[in-house]
Amino acid sequence: MNMAKINRRTLLTTVGVAAAASPLPRLVFASPVIERRLVVIVQRGGMDGLAALPAYGDPHFEAARAGIAAPPPGSTGGALALDTLFALHPSLTEFATLYREQSLLPIHATCVAYHGRSHFDAQNVLDNGAAVPYLLKSGWLNRALSALPNSRDDLGIAIAQTMPVIMRGDAVITSWYPSILPPPDTDTIARIAAMYTRDPKLDAALARARSAHEMAADVDAGAQFVNLMAAAGVFLAKPQGPRVALIESTGWDTHANQAATYGALTRNLRELNGGVASLREALGSAWAATVVLIMTEFGRTVAMNGTAGTDHGTGGAAFLLGGAVAGGRVLADWPGLRPNDLYEGRDLRPTTDLRAVVKGVLAEHLGIPDAHIERLVFPDSADVKPSRDLIHSGSATTST
Amino acid sequence: MITQDAVVAANRFGFGEPPDEMREITQDPRGWVKQQIVAEQTLPAPLAALPSTIDDQLAFFRWLRDYRKEVQSPTDAAMSGSVEQSYVKALYPRYQTAVKARFDTAVATPTPVFERLVHFWSNHFTVSGAKPIAIALPPSFERDAIRPYVTGKFADMLLAAAKHPAMLIYLDNTQSIGPHSQWAKNPPKRRQQFAGIQAPRGLNENLAREILELHTVGVHGSYDQADVTRFANIITGWQVLTPRQFGRFAARWAGIGNDLFYFNAAAHEPGDHSVMGKTYKADGVQQGEAVLHDLAQHPATASFLATKLARHFIADEPTDAVVSHLATVFRNTDGDLGAVTRALIDIPEAWSQPRAKLKQPEEYLISAVRTLGGPPLHDRQLLASLNAMGQRPYMPSGPDGWSDQQDYWLSPDGVWQRIEWAQLAGRVLAATINQPDVYAEALFGTTLSAHTRSAIGHAESPAQGLALLLTSPEFMRR
Repeated sequence: MNMAKINRRTLLTTVGVAAAASPLPRLVFASPVIERRLVVIVQRGGMDGLAALPAYGDPHFEAARAGIAAPPPGSTGGALALDTLFALHPSLTEFATLYREQSLLPIHATCVAYHGRSHFDAQNVLDNGAAVPYLLKSGWLNRALSALPNSRDDLGIAIAQTMPVIMRGDAVITSWYPSILPPPDTDTIARIAAMYTRDPKLDAALARARSAHEMAADVDAGAQFVNLMAAAGVFLAKPQGPRVALIESTGWDTHANQAATYGALTRNLRELNGGVASLREALGSAWAATVVLIMTEFGRTVAMNGTAGTDHGTGGAAFLLGGAVAGGRVLADWPGLRPNDLYEGRDLRPTTDLRAVVKGVLAEHLGIPDAHIERLVFPDSADVKPSRDLIHSGSATTST
Repeated sequence: MITQDAVVAANRFGFGEPPDEMREITQDPRGWVKQQIVAEQTLPAPLAALPSTIDDQLAFFRWLRDYRKEVQSPTDAAMSGSVEQSYVKALYPRYQTAVKARFDTAVATPTPVFERLVHFWSNHFTVSGAKPIAIALPPSFERDAIRPYVTGKFADMLLAAAKHPAMLIYLDNTQSIGPHSQWAKNPPKRRQQFAGIQAPRGLNENLAREILELHTVGVHGSYDQADVTRFANIITGWQVLTPRQFGRFAARWAGIGNDLFYFNAAAHEPGDHSVMGKTYKADGVQQGEAVLHDLAQHPATASFLATKLARHFIADEPTDAVVSHLATVFRNTDGDLGAVTRALIDIPEAWSQPRAKLKQPEEYLISAVRTLGGPPLHDRQLLASLNAMGQRPYMPSGPDGWSDQQDYWLSPDGVWQRIEWAQLAGRVLAATINQPDVYAEALFGTTLSAHTRSAIGHAESPAQGLALLLTSPEFMRR
């Protein structure tokens, strides 16, 4: 049945009439078709899901989050209500707009398969897609690129100076980061490339870098998160460019003073909000064919710790957003916040394996066959059923 | 002719050497490495000139005093930027000077192998200035808590690191209060709220977790969440003297940061606690010190450290035989890091493959300036170069430090940035080096491939030839 679904969508996409079936109000019949795009934002450090996506409708929320919660919806500077249970942090205004446009799908009480509270193990699992740290050397996003129908080299780009695990593997991908040094002259580059023919790793890396720099000729070179998001948008907006971009965002490990107006958490959420806006602008019409996945290695403790922050926890929040997302609702099997509801008495209990969401996106959005997802991308995860209906079936077209 | 062993000695265990020194090393490569594995008698001049930990602490409190004057009522309107930004701006010059001092030391040292060990252990016990409050702390931490111990006992380094003000601040232990301590019940009045920062009221387990996971037994070291929490309780009260307490003695003290350690019994969680199956009796600061001593001797610590050392110096994926040999030496010598390092040098695999690892960016720049004599880099140029290559010293993103795997550093952008830098450097160096192919042979001897030599030799100019030398596989790897 899933197979049939994909075939039907592929067919519709190909003939370019898919928009007719879409509930997205801004979509019209459109051409040309741009292949679907995916942006993955990895938040390093453990984003506090209960701060980004507070559950004010839970009768135990305000007591459980005493001292660190933003003011409730409806009050000055308060959280932005989504439904009767959930709200957004007051900084996430762009997210609230997307929610109204039905292009934001927050996911709550989610977590990777590992629950050990180590940043480094949890990040490794978040990146490699296994249930156990360091079980796999390659990253799930790299393997997904290999599993794409009509896979080719350079489908992926890491907006990063160094290569994170999630993008490592057999699929040949590129990386780019804004440079502050003058570009090398073409003759020198050609000679270095010739010198590298006997060092395969250096040879491949340089070839990728050369093509990325050709594509990035018109990119604004700032290195703030908002610039990096815009750069990703420029790359992905090119019809023959990469289809998948990875961006890392750091500084989410908020052990202290996270609730302060100018504390790290508030600043990070503001940056995230601005980054999403700049990505959307840079993508232009490709926005309609885009899904952005925002994820982190774990949530944080429900209660404030002794230093007005939160410690490493388990369940947290993730976000899907973009023109292709079937949003305007929150995906959560809410476990509750009574002391007895908590995981090991301290953390939000995870009820959704993050891999279920990722599998759903890879299948519905990128058209990767389920069998490939199970065998290549997330091996040994058969018990984790893909989330369905995350994506508009007709969104792989451009709006005008 | 320069031998492979000489190239390995200079590059794998040091930062590369200029031609004259390469000829010397060829006489006795292993001896050249081993003679450097001894304790340091005199601190290198650039490091001796850096401010002390006490001065770093005073600078923090001076900033806080000024900031409080400036911002009478910490309302949102008055705070045009964040508290953190103001602090980082005030302390950044200290950071910049310290990065340059670390670089200059590595470029000029007669004992580069010793310096490599300092860099390795400093990364093992990462205190990162990427956390704003810690921006000025890593350099004096490295000097006080790492440098004196790299050829000594691991237990001594562990205690010095865990009790150093920089570590206590970086991993939040200064704010961790025992839940049943005097301070939890009755907080002192002066610890009031400032600028949205509330006085701490309870436990923070950050340092306890990272000591177990990153510094000693490693994440597979068979401890659980309860061990982390109980260990965190044991080290509550491990704090740093306030300026009121240390200010009047500051001029007298030699500037060793560990002198600022302060055991605050009022914030310490009372009682006996067990960690990894062993009960530690209530004993003030010695309760936590006893845990650290046991962790330093734990077999899992020996294996974890052996793996990291072998990965850093030999190959990304060291063999089990190599790791278990080093771990055995560690256990048999009560964690003598000098003995473990000498054992590492004696392993045949350490000498067999000349280019097993990619240099990290800071190593790359140090080796360029050390072996080619330039280009001169003032402190801002140095930081800009390192920033472009993705490695700002003392600022890895988290307490696990910099990755020691090739796949992390060998990215398209990483290679591109080195090429950009090499082209600039080649133009400057062409004023002093006019035969880059001859120079390359003097650096790499028999290990220089004919292919690379020919590429450098056929360059259109000495400047381009030097750019090719600096980007050659021989130069990028070690």
